[in-house]
Amino acid sequence: MEKNVAIVGYKMMNALDLVTSRERLTFDLTRGLFNELGIDRLAVDTTILDSNDFLDGRTISNVFLDPQAGVYMRDESKVEMDGLNAVLYACMRILSGQYQTAMVMALGLTGSQVSPYLHIEYTLDPTYDRQVKLLNELSAAALQARSYLAKYGYSEELLDGVAAQNLGNAALNPYQARRISGISKDQVKGSAYYYEPLRELHCFPPSDGGCAVLLASEEKAKELTDKPVWIKGMGQSIETYFLGERDLFTSTSTTQAAKRAYDLAGVTDPKKQVAFAEISSLFAHQEPLLAEALGLLDKGQAAGAYQVGETAIDGKLPINPSGGPLGAHPISATGLVRLAEAARQLRGEAGDNQVREAGMAVVHGQDGACAQQNAVVVLGI
Amino acid sequence: MGTLEETFFTPTVPMDFVYNYRVGSYVERYLGGFAEKKILGSKCPGCSKVAVPPRMYCGVCNKKMEEIVEISQEGTLENFTVGHVVLEKGQLSPAEKPYILGLIKLDGASSLLLAKVEGVSPAQVKAGLRVKAVWKDQVEGDYGDLDHFEPV
Repeated sequence: MEKNVAIVGYKMMNALDLVTSRERLTFDLTRGLFNELGIDRLAVDTTILDSNDFLDGRTISNVFLDPQAGVYMRDESKVEMDGLNAVLYACMRILSGQYQTAMVMALGLTGSQVSPYLHIEYTLDPTYDRQVKLLNELSAAALQARSYLAKYGYSEELLDGVAAQNLGNAALNPYQARRISGISKDQVKGSAYYYEPLRELHCFPPSDGGCAVLLASEEKAKELTDKPVWIKGMGQSIETYFLGERDLFTSTSTTQAAKRAYDLAGVTDPKKQVAFAEISSLFAHQEPLLAEALGLLDKGQAAGAYQVGETAIDGKLPINPSGGPLGAHPISATGLVRLAEAARQLRGEAGDNQVREAGMAVVHGQDGACAQQNAVVVLGI
Repeated sequence: MGTLEETFFTPTVPMDFVYNYRVGSYVERYLGGFAEKKILGSKCPGCSKVAVPPRMYCGVCNKKMEEIVEISQEGTLENFTVGHVVLEKGQLSPAEKPYILGLIKLDGASSLLLAKVEGVSPAQVKAGLRVKAVWKDQVEGDYGDLDHFEPV
């Protein structure tokens, strides 16, 4: 990219039930971030808030967050999609030259306040799919999972392995919501089917959470932190809503989004250049599927890669060392949490989840049934 | 008085209102086909792909799909899932018994149609199965007319 933009700080919270309100969570995240950075709200030039009006139960739901987010009489705007899209928006505001700092704050209280499954149920075509009542987030994901397993001849064991690895990583991570100590493949396999081949522990948990991230121009970043994490590239792409017209065994729009991000970042061989990835895989099958689409795994080689631990925290190319969305999926914030988790790794702050080599990271966010819309960010130090 | 200890009052706030979606004539045409036990699709003038159910615009060609065509009632089960739960208004509950949802490529269609598949057990269903449409005895030009698909 022509100019440099850095992540200078982050704050995140996740739990199955955070025992909080939207206002309180917003305040805890944003004021907490200001305190950690030693700044006040006037140091933030522009703010992008991100949550889903439908899930908030209120339209233009940012209207009453100005005192909590520190944006009273300030420059503020809202994004309704996954938080990684808000990062792209904030980043472009800094690149415009009008702003030196930009905060992104996203939240989803889909553990305690509203069912997470409504998000996709009410995305469905109201004149067809919602009338026919066969499609929902879980049945759609199951069709995608079956399509992926069938395409490469993988068994359901791959899903158990991916889920066990993620839940194992999540158990080590204090920022995760679902933490099951001693989780095993057998335990995953012992959980009940929702829609075959997907079992309960292959799927994201209903959870509460949120994340705030401060971005800054190069000049400002050096004032605010001695550990800047640079945004090297970013891209987005969307494909058709209609599942019956998509190649469900892959994610073409993720590949497109990644190409845009890699081109900006100068990544020509992601498997070699990327050290680790944080991917918004809401279901076990989506992690290898999206990793393939991002060019991080060879197509058809996922079963072997997971079996030998290539994607584990201490593997050759760790994927979701944080535990990923199988540990927490606060809808709207999930992609932003991935970004914060990647920054945490790149700053060497990831504790028991720390990967050995953290040079360049790929971050992915998604929206819509079966990842219809995808955003990709490349980070470096 | 001291400092207020924060607790959270949690009222239940239902929302219930009606939208009158104005959607053009294609779904209406599709349901009109059901009234005659026909399955209709729309054909793109650009790429010639046939979408079932019919819809008005082709994403690839960015063109209006103006030709309505009748599709075969037989096809191939391309993909499926066996449901063990029911999910409605965000609430998950166990299904009475496992049921099959299939993505079916009707002969002559370019897209896959999602439908219930019956007449084969969930343990034995396989992709590649040839299936045919089963209609309700009394069709009314409504979504439920095309009841399910079963093996040919």
